[in-house]
Amino acid sequence: MSSETIRIQRRSDGVDIEATLLDGMAPQDFVVVGNEWAAERSMVMQELLKSAVPRNQWPQSLHWDWRRKAPELTLLEASGFGVICERQWQGVMLTKTASYTARLDLDKGKPLVYIDFLEVAPWNWIIPEIDRAGRFRALGSVLFWRAVKQSEEEGFRGRVGLHALPQAEPFYEKACGMTSLGRDVAKQDLLYMELSGQQAAKLLKKGKTQ
Amino acid sequence: MTRVQNEGGPPHDWLLQAVDIEDSCRSLSVGGLASDLGMLVSGSSNVQPVFGRLIEFARRKQGLTIERLAERADIDLEAIVEIETQDRVVPEVRTVYQLAQVLKLPPGRLMEVAGLATPKPEVSRAALRFAARSEPTNQLSRDEREALEEFVKVLAESSDGV
Repeated sequence: MSSETIRIQRRSDGVDIEATLLDGMAPQDFVVVGNEWAAERSMVMQELLKSAVPRNQWPQSLHWDWRRKAPELTLLEASGFGVICERQWQGVMLTKTASYTARLDLDKGKPLVYIDFLEVAPWNWIIPEIDRAGRFRALGSVLFWRAVKQSEEEGFRGRVGLHALPQAEPFYEKACGMTSLGRDVAKQDLLYMELSGQQAAKLLKKGKTQ
Repeated sequence: MTRVQNEGGPPHDWLLQAVDIEDSCRSLSVGGLASDLGMLVSGSSNVQPVFGRLIEFARRKQGLTIERLAERADIDLEAIVEIETQDRVVPEVRTVYQLAQVLKLPPGRLMEVAGLATPKPEVSRAALRFAARSEPTNQLSRDEREALEEFVKVLAESSDGV
């Protein structure tokens, strides 16, 4: 297990505060995440129902349960990453290194880091309809960048693949510079997106990916 | 502005751009089959949309309220409301199993109707017939009762005991 100190912005006062980006989460950590986030998910759902927010505007990972993903972490190819701040898990990611290979023409068949699951804590969600502004910023960006870094460390040249939920598609396409490769019937029509080695190099070195 | 200042943090200019887009998205979540979400659609099955109506009719046939069914099946009330009122909701395996027990339907076939397993051709055909003949109302009409019984009969006949 390794960790590094980062700084993330607290929205309430705009102050950058210290956080830990952890590599090597254990299955029991996913259980803790599941437990800690479950109550907040329930509160969000109640507020959405009370405010009659249309279901198609609900956060699409509202029903997730990280406890169910805990056994996945026992796989040799799996890694868990998380950001801890104010003694709580603020964002979590599960990656795999053997289940998928690159689909982009230029990289076809080459290994990549596949982001199996990524989610930020429910109290960090921005839901204007129920006056939720989110507690911390940048967690999705930090975790995605960590996946690219893992890919580089593995010798995969920064290649990353993922199936984004529809509400998250603009982030991975516009902010992360990923290429959309169409909806995947095997993943119930989620959009498959990939970051090539070339795109990753731009992200890691120059910042902008397009 | 958010900065990640450490030995290996994301490039500052990239992060500035990414965070603004991140803030504009309702969710950043990656992965998970729709069945894990319980609220995304699957376009691959023409059987699953009748699942909610089948549950509703089977419940009403037994004279159960949604609350009573939730209690007997040990399922969240919200989950049953969602199943009965939302098209193409993919429920959890446990939920389907519990409903099958209480409503006395074959669990294996019900999984197919729920979109959690590939439906047998006869189940698909029966589901389409059922969908064509049934409309949600407070009381089951004679025709709807017959439609329900016919569908359940096919499910039972094609059941291999699971």
